[in-house]
Amino acid sequence: MHKESEIRDPLILGNKTYHDITRDIARPVEGKANKYWWILFGLSVFLFLWGVGCMAYTIGTGIGAWGLNKTVNWAWDITNFVWWIGIGHAGTLISAVLLLFRQKWRMAINRSAEAMTIFGVVQAGLFPLIHMGRPWLAYWVFPFPNEYGPLWQNFNSPLLWDVFAISTYLTVSTVFWYIGLIPDFAMIRDRMSKTISPMKKKLYTLLAFGWSGRAKHWQRFEEVSLVLAGLATPLVFSVHSIVSMDFATSIIPGWHTTIFPPYFVLGALFSGFAMVETLLIIMRKVVNLEAYITIKHIEYMNVIILFTGSLVGTAYITELFMAWYSGVAFEQYAFINRATGPYWWAYMAMMSCNVIIPQLYWIKKVRTSFIATFILSIFVNIGMWFERFVIIVTSLHRDFLPSSWTMFSPTFIDIGIFLGTIGFFFTLFLMYARTFPVVAQAELKTILKSSGSEYKNKSHE
Amino acid sequence: MTTTKKYWKGLAQLHDDPIVEKLAQNEFVEELPVEKFLGDKENLSSTNSSRRDFLKFLGFSTAAATLAACETPIVKSIPYLVKPDEIIPGVANYYASTIYDGRDYASVLVKTREGRPIKIENNGTCSNSRVQASVLSLYDSARLKHPLKQNQEASWRTVDSEIVEKLSNIKEGKIALLTSTILSPTTTQLIKEFSDKYKNVEHLMIDSTPYDGILDANLDSYGVRLAPSYSFDKADVIVSFGADFLANWMANEYATDYVNGRNPKNGKMSKHYQLETNLSLSGANADKRIQIKPSEHGYLISSLYDALKGKKFDSRLSPIVKSLKSANGKSIIISNSNDKNVQLIVNAINNKLNNYNNTISINEPTHLKQGNTQKLNDLLVDMQAGDVKALITYNVNPSYSYANSSQFNEALKKVDLKISTSLHNDETASLMDYVCPDSHNLESWGDASPKHGTYSLMQPTISPLFKTRQFQESLLVWTDRSDYLTYLKNFWTNNGIDWNVSLHDGYFNISEPKLSLKNFIDKSSPINLVSSNEIELELYESIALGDGYQANNPWLQELPDPLTRACWDNYLTISSHTAEQLGLLNWNVSNGALNGSLVDITSDDVVLRNVPVMINPGQARSTVGMAIGYGRTKAGKAGDNVGFNAYPFTNKKTITIEKVEGEYEFASIQLHHTMMGRDIVKETTLADYIKDPSSGNHRETYATYKGKLTADKVSLYDEHDLEHGHFWNLSIDLTACIGCGECVISCQAENNIPVVGKAEVRNSRDMHWMRIDRYFSSDMTEELSAEQKISMIDMFSEMEEPSENPEVVFQPVMCMHCNHAPCENVCPVAATTHSNEGLNQMTYNRCVGTRYCANNCPYKVRRFNWFQYSDNDKFDFNMNDDYGKMVLNPDVVVRSRGVIEKCSMCIQKIQELKLDAKKSGKPIEDKDAQTACASSCSTNAIIFGDSNNKESLVSKLRTDERAYDLLDHLNVRPSVFYQTKIRNKA
Repeated sequence: MHKESEIRDPLILGNKTYHDITRDIARPVEGKANKYWWILFGLSVFLFLWGVGCMAYTIGTGIGAWGLNKTVNWAWDITNFVWWIGIGHAGTLISAVLLLFRQKWRMAINRSAEAMTIFGVVQAGLFPLIHMGRPWLAYWVFPFPNEYGPLWQNFNSPLLWDVFAISTYLTVSTVFWYIGLIPDFAMIRDRMSKTISPMKKKLYTLLAFGWSGRAKHWQRFEEVSLVLAGLATPLVFSVHSIVSMDFATSIIPGWHTTIFPPYFVLGALFSGFAMVETLLIIMRKVVNLEAYITIKHIEYMNVIILFTGSLVGTAYITELFMAWYSGVAFEQYAFINRATGPYWWAYMAMMSCNVIIPQLYWIKKVRTSFIATFILSIFVNIGMWFERFVIIVTSLHRDFLPSSWTMFSPTFIDIGIFLGTIGFFFTLFLMYARTFPVVAQAELKTILKSSGSEYKNKSHE
Repeated sequence: MTTTKKYWKGLAQLHDDPIVEKLAQNEFVEELPVEKFLGDKENLSSTNSSRRDFLKFLGFSTAAATLAACETPIVKSIPYLVKPDEIIPGVANYYASTIYDGRDYASVLVKTREGRPIKIENNGTCSNSRVQASVLSLYDSARLKHPLKQNQEASWRTVDSEIVEKLSNIKEGKIALLTSTILSPTTTQLIKEFSDKYKNVEHLMIDSTPYDGILDANLDSYGVRLAPSYSFDKADVIVSFGADFLANWMANEYATDYVNGRNPKNGKMSKHYQLETNLSLSGANADKRIQIKPSEHGYLISSLYDALKGKKFDSRLSPIVKSLKSANGKSIIISNSNDKNVQLIVNAINNKLNNYNNTISINEPTHLKQGNTQKLNDLLVDMQAGDVKALITYNVNPSYSYANSSQFNEALKKVDLKISTSLHNDETASLMDYVCPDSHNLESWGDASPKHGTYSLMQPTISPLFKTRQFQESLLVWTDRSDYLTYLKNFWTNNGIDWNVSLHDGYFNISEPKLSLKNFIDKSSPINLVSSNEIELELYESIALGDGYQANNPWLQELPDPLTRACWDNYLTISSHTAEQLGLLNWNVSNGALNGSLVDITSDDVVLRNVPVMINPGQARSTVGMAIGYGRTKAGKAGDNVGFNAYPFTNKKTITIEKVEGEYEFASIQLHHTMMGRDIVKETTLADYIKDPSSGNHRETYATYKGKLTADKVSLYDEHDLEHGHFWNLSIDLTACIGCGECVISCQAENNIPVVGKAEVRNSRDMHWMRIDRYFSSDMTEELSAEQKISMIDMFSEMEEPSENPEVVFQPVMCMHCNHAPCENVCPVAATTHSNEGLNQMTYNRCVGTRYCANNCPYKVRRFNWFQYSDNDKFDFNMNDDYGKMVLNPDVVVRSRGVIEKCSMCIQKIQELKLDAKKSGKPIEDKDAQTACASSCSTNAIIFGDSNNKESLVSKLRTDERAYDLLDHLNVRPSVFYQTKIRNKA
């Protein structure tokens, strides 16, 4: 009598062998790019260059090239900054937190999610730099030994905390990502022919950092991964908490809120997962990863989006409640103005994209559909951009003294720079997709149910 | 215990080896082979220079080449060859002088630095923003730089000889001398002498805004064509029919007296009624304002006279009549009507109320307005007929400001010899044969008598910048003489004046007997109400530009109107009710900026196309207002084609308005007009104040476990030590502030604040360090919404709408210098820090421009340099002009692009004060401590001083029951505080 317990659905479809995985992952690196890649790449580079032009114009003439004014001193710049930082969050969560929780399904997506994190943080880091009136003096925000007194930074300033938070985050994420890449680089190195592409071989040899696949290496690899995961986990929460303190520690009604740190972290995860979905749904098609990035992954992520989206919605409503409950007229007006003032449409966009639309994921059909997920992920990306816009602009444009109330309207430069960072992001991501092992194949191979399934499949024949 | 320890560097030294001594003498052990390497090209290959030497040479030459390449910009400064005794570089000299340009008069102190006048200070009299800004007009590069003959450059010699010859050749016909009102006794004398030399000289005076009505009425009533002087401080009741006496009406000297008569500390304030069409500055300050149409103006004055005679009267006047009954001899009735019949009734009322010789003095008249429009009209007829052979103009611009300027221009063609003495090649001057450019007031000698018995002297504070010559000198030359200074000096010395003392003081009084006049004759006749359904127009002089003489002054162009808060424009002001009837709109575009509908306005044959409308609360229904002084075409780059010329409508009463396609872009610095139910300007009434001086000044409290506490009792922060040393404070009295904007210009001049132009103001990027917020009352209040159960959302949206006839408050706002400053702790690079004297300081060269401070400022007073505002062709104002830059205050740095700036409480003045006190060893006296805004305030609304000096006025004001901190619930502890606004209303 043979009794077999029900086994979970496999995470890798299509009865792949170890060699299949190697081949599938190495294919984009070794092969030639297809037409779609070139089209996307061309478009991204064009946007990127456009953005570079707009940034150069800004640095050449002054921040006046943007739509800011004496009342609204931050708008798209910091909106974009927070948006990009938020997008980065899912990567770290997937690679670090899910690693600690032993969530095996993360293995198919963690590499790209982390790449997205790093590329997102690069975009984010641009904004604090170029939003400065005198960006050539940006190094003054770093504490370096100097002869100006010596003159130190103001350690009370949340902007300074940002500097540390983001640089730490970028460093840890990059190291973590790179450590994970080493065995995979080694795999590509080993497959590269010395005669056909000697330069590439050299490059990957360098990147593989002398990986030999010895047991000792694997042991160290596992240990370092765990240690880094441990280091990165608090960062998932700290970075966006600190970013939120740019607002929370100020006195502007609508900014001055203690709920901001958890609210921002949740929002970041929410938007991060949405961006991971947007990217992976495209990527699994473009580089033929259908077998690795399956509807199962998408569904898991959709559940997280549904969960964090609902929490973000709770935060929005809590804010409204607190404004009413505080009895502070300024606070109350800030929120009434948000919802019913001249920027009501932005508030509505935020509410519908972030709170209402993700509720569709309660329906199984929606959360297990690639197309629906793709569309919804775009909505979430838009909604989260508007969330930051709403927080920044609607709080500033009508603060304490009505005499200074005004509004904000972006210029072509504002828009150009934002599009430019999107272009830059995709340029980096597309280049990554062609040169890096986009799936952590070494890790992935640990969950391939090869022998048992093969035997079973054979016995069925 | 002394130590005998000895340290040695090596055994050799311990053993006193001679090599130690030798090496100590010889720093370079090996000789540097410089000569070998550098001296000889041939032996270069065989040189014994080591590799190290080579690297040294390489390093040195690279460094030297690099250093030589980055040359710092060279700014050439030329030292004095012989230093003038009175000039010490870095120390300002002050000279008493006078500003009078034919319109605005003020006795002033001129601050000069290294021989350049840079700032106008008040010399004990009231001035205004145009007087403050006149120092920039001195450096106007659009001024004429040499005489003109037929619009071509000419020398003074040619021009003078030709003019004298031509004038002498006139045998028949008139020589007309068309001037503004002349205040100068010597100029009057000179004109007389000129008339003696040339026969048939007729001297006419005109004012750009005519006051013939008052002057002619007094001619009828008293037999003299003069305007009286008024003592607003002595009046208990002030009734003004449209006269904006706090701004431009008659003389800019009434504000001080007005505010002195309204000090609630005395328990008494004058009661001010304003009956007017347009919302004027005086109307905004009035205790009760009644909206009237221009057509009702005469009727209402007539009705008031009826009321005083016990007859039936218009019910709108009943509160006025009631007040006037108990104010015998203590009231002032004035009207801005230019109709003699109306002014005759005003005279009759003032006579009936016994105001003459009490509050109004006709036998000590003012000299500021003497123009006679009728004479100009007659002159035009003569010119047309060819009877005028020569025309000389001085301080007037009839081609621009005469109602029918085309008629003037036509008639001008018939004149053989046309001479202008304008500073600019303006609308009139450009039509003349000769332009003999006058010098600016600050380059000229002169005198003035603004009022009976009061005299002031004008002295140059700089040599003429261009080849200009003051008018008086020209008159002397044309009468074959020269040297006006000697003439002036002799004139006054002969009159028994101590020249040196008077010149030092800038003014002197001569106790002249009061004029003896005929007894008052009541020649008034009643005026009946003529009802009209048409839209009526009333022109006004804008507070910034006045009659448009200084239209090319960018400071004035960018000074926002106190009421509409728009700058760089004039427009048709209209009530919301009438606008709705005509389908005219004002709306905010996506960046908040204000847009308005366009209309064509027509009156008889005068048409003005595409004029924007500005919906202005307080405007009477079915009326429109429009400012004169705009629409100049030959003023210069800042003033040309700004706004619309409204002078052609001078004599028009009604207009038709036709909406046309298109929209107009305004530059308004305040886009929101009500306080939204917030406690921003704290207000009370006189009656309540007398009962409880702290009425209306309740503080917000927080509920704590200790009970309800004010914000300062629940602070988490450590306190700054403000007990020791100085604690600089600024008190702003909202009752005394009339909102004129003089301080804004004064601040701009003192602190090198750039002009940014209309487009940037429209982008809400004005750079003024201080602004005067204006709030209108709204019909919706929190009480009303609670009573009528209106939802909060509806309440706030209705609060945004001002009332149709709102109460107005003005509130000057500059950096509050918070002692718990929100800006200070958010700056990542510590560019804004706190001083131990209670000041919030901005370090420009540390600022990287994150603008976080500006976001976190609850008062929104921080200003960012969005662009490079100096030496930038895109901002072609005074800071992009070699002449315009001469006005810059050398004590204040010109900010570069990308940094935040804000009010520094005139730190440069404080520093100077402290250094002077230190040098002289005396404590700082309260009266010496001044900021630019405080020193320029004609109504003493702004008081600056050291609160740690217990004798100082500001320390007393700090503890006054009226004192309050703006947004005190935030507990930012400002060093600037306000005194509650008190209205004299029931």
